[in-house]
Amino acid sequence: MKVTRALRWSLPFWVFTVACKQPTPPAEVRAPGEPIHGGQVTVAISQDLTSFNEYTGFSESTELAILDLLFPTLLTEQPDYQQRPPSFAPNLAVSWGFSEDNRVLTFQLRPNASWSDGTPVTAEDVAFTFRVQKSPLLPWPGQEIKDFIQRVEVVSPTVVRFYFSRSYPYQLMDANDGHIVPSHRWGKIPLQAWAHTDFSQHLVTAGPFRVASHVPQQTLTLARDPAYWDRPKPFLDRVVFRVIPDPAQQVAQLLAGQVDVVLMVPPREATNVRGNPKLELVEVPSRVWGYIGWNNRRPPLSDRRVRRALTLAINRQAIVDTVYWGFARPARGPIPSTMWAANRNLPLLPYDPGQAAKLLDTAGVTDADGDGVREWEGRKLTIDLLYPAVNPMRAQAALMIQADLRKVGIHLQPTPMEFTAMMARQEAGNFDAVLSAWEEATKVDLTSLWMTPSSTTGSNNFIGYSNPEVDHLIVQAREESDLDKAKVFWDRAQELIVEDQPVTFLYEAVQLVGIAQRIKGADINPASVFFNLQEWYVLP
Amino acid sequence: MKAHLFRRFLASALVIWLVATATFFLISMAPGDLASKLADPRIAPSARERLREQFGLQDPWWERYLRWLSRAATGDFGYSLLFRRPVGAVLGEALPNTALLAGVGLALELVMGLAIGLIQAYRPHSGFDRLLSALTLTAYALPTFAVASGLLVLFAYTFPLFPPSHMASPEAAHLPYWARVGDTLRHLVLPALTIAITGCGAVARYLRGSLLDEQRRGYVLFALARGCSTRRALVVHALPNALLPLLTVIGLSLPFLVSGSLVIEVIFSWPGMGQVFYSAVTARDVPLIQACTVVITAAVVAGNWLADLAYNVADPRVRV
Repeated sequence: MKVTRALRWSLPFWVFTVACKQPTPPAEVRAPGEPIHGGQVTVAISQDLTSFNEYTGFSESTELAILDLLFPTLLTEQPDYQQRPPSFAPNLAVSWGFSEDNRVLTFQLRPNASWSDGTPVTAEDVAFTFRVQKSPLLPWPGQEIKDFIQRVEVVSPTVVRFYFSRSYPYQLMDANDGHIVPSHRWGKIPLQAWAHTDFSQHLVTAGPFRVASHVPQQTLTLARDPAYWDRPKPFLDRVVFRVIPDPAQQVAQLLAGQVDVVLMVPPREATNVRGNPKLELVEVPSRVWGYIGWNNRRPPLSDRRVRRALTLAINRQAIVDTVYWGFARPARGPIPSTMWAANRNLPLLPYDPGQAAKLLDTAGVTDADGDGVREWEGRKLTIDLLYPAVNPMRAQAALMIQADLRKVGIHLQPTPMEFTAMMARQEAGNFDAVLSAWEEATKVDLTSLWMTPSSTTGSNNFIGYSNPEVDHLIVQAREESDLDKAKVFWDRAQELIVEDQPVTFLYEAVQLVGIAQRIKGADINPASVFFNLQEWYVLP
Repeated sequence: MKAHLFRRFLASALVIWLVATATFFLISMAPGDLASKLADPRIAPSARERLREQFGLQDPWWERYLRWLSRAATGDFGYSLLFRRPVGAVLGEALPNTALLAGVGLALELVMGLAIGLIQAYRPHSGFDRLLSALTLTAYALPTFAVASGLLVLFAYTFPLFPPSHMASPEAAHLPYWARVGDTLRHLVLPALTIAITGCGAVARYLRGSLLDEQRRGYVLFALARGCSTRRALVVHALPNALLPLLTVIGLSLPFLVSGSLVIEVIFSWPGMGQVFYSAVTARDVPLIQACTVVITAAVVAGNWLADLAYNVADPRVRV
């Protein structure tokens, strides 16, 4: 947390410099490279914002990125998770600090922050937001994030304190999770009625932009909020979000100049975007990794020699090159190499069908009758590989995996399934193998995926992986208050997980963002495409 | 007559109830629920169970069914868990959009189909008739997405005459009323043409067939013998009778006005019922699925009814 501390010390200076700077009027004569005020940017999104209130249900990451432009958070998580645990910069809070025992976290809020109706944003809003987040009446999936926060106290309109039940490394991140919502307006609506309330009718925002118009399922237009209290103030007049569900149409409209930004260009369209002189293709390192999850409870997949052999038999580089057109990397282990917590010394298991065949023989998965298909305990072995039917890239990968495994005598049957039905089978443990992907959170914690599943706390470890040594390391890491020390335990756990190959780590994805060249000043980074939207400007 | 209408009404209500009930059980039997989708690193795994409890997804099926039925009977279809709004509000937005697109599309389809059918029947078995037959059959056989993509490439991207997607331009809200209407019409062109092109083939085939049948009937021959021109015999005498079978076709396509087409709506980003129904099903949003089913079933029943009624009016032979 060294960086956070350094930031804290430099804050008074920072605030001072910002406060002394006078807003510059739009220049008549523009020096080359100087930002221009005005104009608009059109962004293609695949689905509309479900609600302006994130606490009434589950919001996808693009929705949260849009809400970031409308509602403040206490701090802004920085996109530096590649080098270190994420640091934070001031947003609604200008400074923060822990008590001696690390159980009380005090935030000093910006005195000049206000909602779009002119009402000040105060500590009362922060405390109200916390009550909302903890409310058993609301179906907010993030509620458990606040488990160790006991209460939030309003000390003064600009000072608010969080009281924790224990001290742990992610206190700041957990306190900061979720947007601050207006207590003076939304507090008047009883929480029981929230899930059924149309919050676009009660819209008060406090961000660099405000909602200019919203036609559900079609267009959301945000306009620069002239009263925004933080800097930098946006150069753009408007940001238009157009709902275009079909990714191919998103790219077609990008190529035709009808939209300026496509958040996820399918890899097969990448060359089209790159070849267009008016567009730029930005490769953003992502935290998404693809895998084949083997059911660790089902023999012979419960034998780690078998799982290792299956990994060795699959040509993962070929999948990266063919299915992802090279816009991915073969994955090594459970934490993507784009993250600070990744163990850099993990071996990349090679593509080695010969060794795979030997391993299968020693594990007792042999082809006794010589028909080219291996048997297990006297019966032909067939592995069902489930994958979501709507995903053409998964379908292509599944066929390549099938062909690779056939070479070592394993019969794999790709089975497309409707997504929700597939998830239900995963949850029930009723599968041989699934072809899926996971996006790692910036809050590194191996518990939910790799710890032996417990019936009391729930788990995402649906493959049933269980290694007591890994469990022990995860618990040790969790109890460490210093993340750098926790990483020592995580490093070892990653080694063990790779040795066990509970899943075949297939690829680490790269997010492809298509953006019009006329947009300048955009710093597209892994935190969010809109991270510095305030600094974007467009050339006429 | 009254008793007949009453019986028919009861039967319709029964059909709607049966379909809705069957859908409810099918969806309940399908694996997974709304919480299954929530495998996300930002969400604690225990949140899934909490949400199931909050939404009552774990209650026994009969409890959920009775709860739905008692509410639906009073016209309250509950709340969409996916869109986080009352089901009525979701349908209230999507239904008019679909009705507009499907209405214009079907009207265009009929006009094109009728025109082609008439032209073909005017000189049957000629070269031109054969050419049109081949064209309409091709159009009928083409998958919707191919027609849509072709139109987009031609008229939106290569020659940008019409907007490629949505119902309105982003700035439409600030336009005067008539400019807004014009803007919507421009947005309607390509998706409506897609409906018309893929559908007009069937209409034309039907009409050509029944026109040729009618032309062999005595009353047409008599008209011709009396010195009536071929064109007049075709349009004034044969056409009204040849249109009868088309009433069924039109009646049966009425449900399309409320169900929409997923493919067209996705390709043209048209926010209608097709997309709503599809996302409701994939998310297992039971209240919304149920409401969509009831609306579409009602439209099927009503379509049949209207077709029968139209027959009654148009053809004295089937009058009860």
